[in-house]
Amino acid sequence: MTNILLVDDEPALIAVLKPVLGAEGYSVATASGGAAALRMAEDIKPEVVLLDLGLPDIDGKDVIRALRATSTVPIIVISARHQEGEKIAALDNGADDYVNKPFEIGELMARIRAAIRRSSSLENAPGTYRSGPLEIDFPARRVSLAGDTVKLSPKEYDLLRTLALSAGQVVTHKRLLAVGWGSDTADSQYLRVYIGLLRQKIEEDPSDPRLLVTEPGVGYRLASAS
Amino acid sequence: MTPRRPNPIAGFLAARLHLHRDDMLRTAVVLALSIIAAFAVHPLGEVASALVFVLGITIAGALSGLAAALIAALAAFLVHNFYLTEPALTFRIATGGDIAPLVVFNLCALVSGVLAGQLKDHAQAARSSNQQLQSLLALSQQLQSAIRLPDVVATVERAIHDILGARAALFRFEGETLRSLASVEAHWQAFAERIAAQAGPSGENGLVGRRLQPANSPDAVLVLESLRRERVAPAFIDAVANMVTLALERAALAEQITERQAVARAEQLKTALLASVSHDFRTPLTAISASASSLIAYGEKLDPETSAGLLRGIVEECERLNRYTANLLEMSRLEAGGVAQPLQILGAAEMVAAALHRVRPRAGGRQMLLQAPAPDLLVAANAALFELVLINILDNAILYSEEDARVEIAIFAEQGACRIDIADSGQGIPEAALRRVFERFYRAGRSEAAGRGNGLGLAIAKGFVEALGGTIEATVPGLDGRGTRITIRLPLAEASKA
Repeated sequence: MTNILLVDDEPALIAVLKPVLGAEGYSVATASGGAAALRMAEDIKPEVVLLDLGLPDIDGKDVIRALRATSTVPIIVISARHQEGEKIAALDNGADDYVNKPFEIGELMARIRAAIRRSSSLENAPGTYRSGPLEIDFPARRVSLAGDTVKLSPKEYDLLRTLALSAGQVVTHKRLLAVGWGSDTADSQYLRVYIGLLRQKIEEDPSDPRLLVTEPGVGYRLASAS
Repeated sequence: MTPRRPNPIAGFLAARLHLHRDDMLRTAVVLALSIIAAFAVHPLGEVASALVFVLGITIAGALSGLAAALIAALAAFLVHNFYLTEPALTFRIATGGDIAPLVVFNLCALVSGVLAGQLKDHAQAARSSNQQLQSLLALSQQLQSAIRLPDVVATVERAIHDILGARAALFRFEGETLRSLASVEAHWQAFAERIAAQAGPSGENGLVGRRLQPANSPDAVLVLESLRRERVAPAFIDAVANMVTLALERAALAEQITERQAVARAEQLKTALLASVSHDFRTPLTAISASASSLIAYGEKLDPETSAGLLRGIVEECERLNRYTANLLEMSRLEAGGVAQPLQILGAAEMVAAALHRVRPRAGGRQMLLQAPAPDLLVAANAALFELVLINILDNAILYSEEDARVEIAIFAEQGACRIDIADSGQGIPEAALRRVFERFYRAGRSEAAGRGNGLGLAIAKGFVEALGGTIEATVPGLDGRGTRITIRLPLAEASKA
């Protein structure tokens, strides 16, 4: 059974998430502050941490840094939309993903599943990624759409590979820029152009992307492997 | 237009020859003493007595000025000629020896009188410039304490009158028109306008004026009327004008600071409001959204108890949103001015009981007790707002206390007021925060529970109570030496007083 540590100071939200996550088969421990969260992370070694950024005692970013110092546990940040800057800082500090408040339960579950899949794939590198018509064969560096090979430039392939390895999770502009251009301070305009090119090649309707979606102001997300 | 200038020589003589009564008396005494002395030394010869007179005239001149010296010289000559020179007891001006005393005496009088006069003038000038310096100092001191524009105006008029003995008025440009900042006669206004236009002399008909040009506020005109006869030096008027200009500049700066502070406060409030809306709407919405979508997605997987809990949560959170919306609405309404009319006559205990009924579902294991007199005390208030205020305070008592805490509400009459005490045995409020809890969006401490409060409840309570002419205060401890006590005093409605 997968252990989830839910860190939130809102009793109402805990009251909802605890039974529902339980019904999904997760075992849920809760902490209502950053200090308690760090103690419990030590004790129960959770497989996923759900972290509300607005904690009463410790800044959420500091909690993430402290967690990252000792573990690679996937951290999913729960944040309000007005905390845009906080959210990006949280991702830069080592959080893996985020959901905006208010969220639908399905969205949160998808994030949790993606986080668990990615953390297990870190241990045994996956050979392929498949979502809908899109298929990536990592050892062969081959990308195909409904069986037809798609020709990608090396940079396009590197970007798509990075997104696919974190499939279902947000990948920040910074990380993609570092992968494609070797510097996370490069102009994100380049990135936008390359994402546009990728969409031309893999999306059915590039103006209404389903596989490679934009996370406004934060980065991009490739659909979870199916 | 040539102002009449007094003839300088005539003026000089007028000033020099002016004789006070004291001077006359002094001169008479000096003269009498010199006559006695002259007779006393007469046996030594005519020259000795003449020298005594020279001494007397010099003393008279030094003491009392030119006129006194000349009178003394004339008198001395007469006495000397009549009694003390041969032939005695006759006037004779025949030889050079007769005329010499007259000439010497008068020359002596002139020299001593003029010297004494000059000395006096210097002393007078020193005194007067000292006085003007003192006046400027006093004026600057008084202006220093004038911070706002009306204070500056009042201080200028009062201080100039007190210190200089002159009436003064300040005019200020408002757009294109020059407006007096106090009521003045028409010719003052006309004079001020000429000064502003720099179209006439800076002084006429006993008025002097200066155009003031403060750096950061509209130009102004200072008009003074000299009540004392003395002429005031233009440099002195300039100094006064500079001082008033500085005071105006300072007043304008103070005003700008106040404005900026008001803007900053409004900005702060807006930020607090946005943060509050963002947090206090989003949190219940998140719980509702998560619950509802869970019920849709996992409806059949959830056991009945969990499903019921989720549904209850949705209802509770909706209520919380509703309360928050009502609070925001009432906040802005109170801000806009007072409690919504009409006021109804309401029973205090009845209102508290209704509020208790509303919060009980959230109270858990907390004991909530109401002590009220019979018959009920009546107050005039807006029912919905009164209930909201009571619910806010009771919610705080619940929010900031443990499950086993007690909340006691006591209602009683006190000096024509209805007093409602709501005391709890919860966490209490730090002494330093007791006043601040009534500020909008202030949340005492940063405890876990603080996240659930919206920082509006007590601010609304204060606005409500004060709009009705009552008071509200927070004190510690509440019950059992801990917790908080909120005391509300509302004026009793007429029916209840009888």
